[in-house]
Amino acid sequence: MLRRALPHLAIFAAILGLWEAAIATGLIRSIMVPPPSAVMAAMVKLYLVEGTIYRHFFITLWESVSGFAIGAGIAIALATGSALWEPFRRYVTPYAIVLNVTPGIALTPVIIAWFGYGIGSKVALAAVLCFFPIFVNTLTGLTRPDRDREELFRQLGASDAQLFFKLRVPAALPLMFAGLKIGLTTALIGAVVAEFSQATEGVGVLMSRFSFQLNMGASIATLLSMTAIGLLLFYSMEFIDDRMVFWRREARREAASRARARAWKARRGD
Amino acid sequence: MTNDAAPVVTGTHVGKTFANGAVVALENAQFNIPKGTFVSLVGPSGCGKSTLLRLIAGLIEASSGEITLHGTPVRGPRQDVGMMFQKATLLEWRTALENVLLPTELQRKPTRADEDKARDLLGLVGLGDFAFSFPAQLSGGMQQRVALARLLQTGADVLLLDEPFGALDEFTREHLNLELLRIVGELGATTIFVTHNIAEAIFLADQVFVMTPRPGRIARIVDVPLERPRRLALQTTPEFNRLVVEVRETLGEL
Ligand SMILES: Nc1ncnc2c1ncn2[C@@H]1O[C@H](COP(=O)(O)OP(=O)(O)O)[C@@H](O)[C@H]1O
Ligand SMILES: [Mg+2]
Repeated sequence: MLRRALPHLAIFAAILGLWEAAIATGLIRSIMVPPPSAVMAAMVKLYLVEGTIYRHFFITLWESVSGFAIGAGIAIALATGSALWEPFRRYVTPYAIVLNVTPGIALTPVIIAWFGYGIGSKVALAAVLCFFPIFVNTLTGLTRPDRDREELFRQLGASDAQLFFKLRVPAALPLMFAGLKIGLTTALIGAVVAEFSQATEGVGVLMSRFSFQLNMGASIATLLSMTAIGLLLFYSMEFIDDRMVFWRREARREAASRARARAWKARRGD
Repeated sequence: MTNDAAPVVTGTHVGKTFANGAVVALENAQFNIPKGTFVSLVGPSGCGKSTLLRLIAGLIEASSGEITLHGTPVRGPRQDVGMMFQKATLLEWRTALENVLLPTELQRKPTRADEDKARDLLGLVGLGDFAFSFPAQLSGGMQQRVALARLLQTGADVLLLDEPFGALDEFTREHLNLELLRIVGELGATTIFVTHNIAEAIFLADQVFVMTPRPGRIARIVDVPLERPRRLALQTTPEFNRLVVEVRETLGEL
């Protein structure tokens, strides 16, 4: 573990060292690019001494997650409707495509006009931006032809509902989760962009305020909090994905296999 | 063989066309299959073997003629036939045991007895220790065994197998064929087995339906009066070779 991490740490330290040196020798102007030491100092101040970052951190996190929940909810509902009912798909898909090719970020002023300077507009933009990848992936997953297994279900006398819930939904999960993972990341982009545009709270506001003051160390320190939100969101979804779509990964599969054997024993006693 | 018993599966002038009659997949098929008979359908690719099987399974409708099962005409999928395909078609999010229980689950909530049966069937196909394995943890041959156990779980006494071991290696296939013979023999099931391997068709069957393409038809029904249980050594006997020649002649290969 340490042996594998060592080269990474060495390279990272070298980058920081060169960066620091480039500024110390005047090769790069420190007013535009802060030295790593300044970023560190700002981080200590923002994260430890004053702790100002946390309130904004949780606001942006909340905006992203609730925007994602709304966007994903609508996307999955519309994708399910489209998968179940062909005419519905015919009329929904063009709008989804138009929404996708329109740069969602360009909707920011409109959304702020509609939802105001508060949290609402951030949630709305996050929802809009994460909608499409989730919609497309879920729809593709649900409508992917699976002739052999559909024939099997029909031969076994399955109802349409059984075909849907026992075959098509589980078969769609891997693609749906791929969409959800992309969507969660784009939701964060939506929340931050809306904050850049007009807001009073959130890490986006904090960062644009610091940059405006040319306090580059603090600005980068704030940017790193967005990275932290991104990582937190991504790995949370990865965690859920791993357990819902357990059959895709060997280790998860084996764990699930053992769990099923235990559950069987507990229930039946043999 | 019980030729005198009432036929379980019959076909009278069965025809099937596709593409508005442009493709004649099957023409004027006539057959009576007595209870407990093992029938092989053999013929080159495209001669209508799968079509005939899917007609019997009620998955597609005949364009002409009629098929009966246990004396009643086939109008759609029914529970007294079970089918197995060349692909195992397992659900990869279900364990072997849960896959075997699927047919029951689609009919009703499985009882303890259903679960016991599924476990026993996994034992029967030699997968007793793999009940809780997921398909991805099993080899191709093992997956086909799960599919066979699932087929038997339906309780159907007419088994339709469409090149069930065709994707497996020679050794596994031979081994599974022997197990299949043993199992259907024990159950007394009526079996229709599709293959394009002539020796395999004869080795397994009581009757070989030799099929020819364009239009697909049953060119000849060859009786196989060889004793059971069948042993692999049978394939080197003159009697066996005579049957191979007979089938090949019908297929126009000699
Ligand atoms: N759903 C279908 N639509 C159109 N043609 C079909 C269809 N199913 C089968 N056919 C045609 O019917 C013929 C017989 O097919 P099939 O029964 O699958 O042959 P086999 O199983 O003996 O290889 C082939 O020419 C095939 O192309
Ligand atoms: Mg075929």
